[in-house]
Amino acid sequence: MAEGLTGSLAQLPLVDLLKMLAAGGQSGRLELTSGLDQGDIYLVKGELVHAECDMQVGDAAFARLVTWPNGQFRFEGHVPPPDKTIEKPLDRLLTEAARAASEREAVRRVVPNMDVVPRMARKSPGPSVTVSAADWEVLATVDGVLSAAELARAWGVEELEFAKLLYRMKLNGMVEMAVVQQAAPQQRTPAGPAFFTALNTAVAGALGPLAEIIIDDAVEDLGFTRATFPRDAVASLAERISGEIREPDKRVKFQQTMLQMLRGSQQAA
Amino acid sequence: MEKGLDQVGALPGVGGSFVCDNKGDVIVSSDPAVLATVTMNTIGREVGRAFVALDAAKRPAQRLDFVYNSWRLLAQDMGDAVFFVVCQPEVDMAMVRMTVEVVVAGWRKDSSAQKRLQRHRAERTALVSRATLDQGSWSSWTVIASRG
Repeated sequence: MAEGLTGSLAQLPLVDLLKMLAAGGQSGRLELTSGLDQGDIYLVKGELVHAECDMQVGDAAFARLVTWPNGQFRFEGHVPPPDKTIEKPLDRLLTEAARAASEREAVRRVVPNMDVVPRMARKSPGPSVTVSAADWEVLATVDGVLSAAELARAWGVEELEFAKLLYRMKLNGMVEMAVVQQAAPQQRTPAGPAFFTALNTAVAGALGPLAEIIIDDAVEDLGFTRATFPRDAVASLAERISGEIREPDKRVKFQQTMLQMLRGSQQAA
Repeated sequence: MEKGLDQVGALPGVGGSFVCDNKGDVIVSSDPAVLATVTMNTIGREVGRAFVALDAAKRPAQRLDFVYNSWRLLAQDMGDAVFFVVCQPEVDMAMVRMTVEVVVAGWRKDSSAQKRLQRHRAERTALVSRATLDQGSWSSWTVIASRG
């Protein structure tokens, strides 16, 4: 029944889609794309058994995929999973994902990014303060100079975990977020091969079999290779290629396709 | 036309947008308006004149990008009108330009948008006359026109 099922996540949200597939006892691969991102979820007889997205697998990949507000899906039946990385039932996964999203949002309000510089609160949170040994050790390194990211690295913990710790300490009145450092130049995320596959399809639709060459020329003109081409330059690349499309209708259609991809990518980010 | 403005306004780094006819009158503006009406009028009129001047100087342009310290203004010529987008300096202008092209293409096929544009139709060259320009601007114009 569900074999070859395709559609838009904006019209059929992933949660509803998964519930439908699970209720129907479906087996196969659910391919998801959102802008430049892609991921897969595998089901066996209606049970989720594996998820992968970017470099993540299992629960972490699933938690990321369910946050995508829009994108496209394609369900291919009877595709066996390459691995089994999920043990929990769907309802529990969804509950955990919702809780994690809510927690991330609460933390983000207090620690908006990892460039913030925490410092010990100037005012005591109360007449007497009880500090756990673990918090004491962290507090001793919060010097009003190192950023949250630098502190996380120094402690050897994941940034999100350290942000949660700062969030808790801020709520307890122990720290405050001081001046925000100038953001260090970030490493640019590559657009990736999936993007170039989608781009090739779009360009071929507008310009025919020379698509590959036109793309390579435009990428080179912008000073990159396909392997190094960054996501933040995708709009410039699309605009440059659209300039090669002489037929107005085809050019607009190509631009619409690219804008849809770019919007999806931004929302997913 | 409002949908087109919404589409542009949804882009990160875009503050708002508006369309002015060739006399500078606002045909449509994002809600809330990104600038005071009088400011939009002035920008519309002066940028319309800039397009005429560039054309007269044999340097026709379809688009002008004004970059300031704290904002950036894209002006897309539509012939009977100019489409303006007010942006933050760090905006992804390639994305804005593509969106503007898509929106303008949509308006060309939209009869209600065409009707609105036609109602405001005015020859842009009428903006450039001795009666409408101050002495300095008129002198500049005659130099541009003579060298064109």
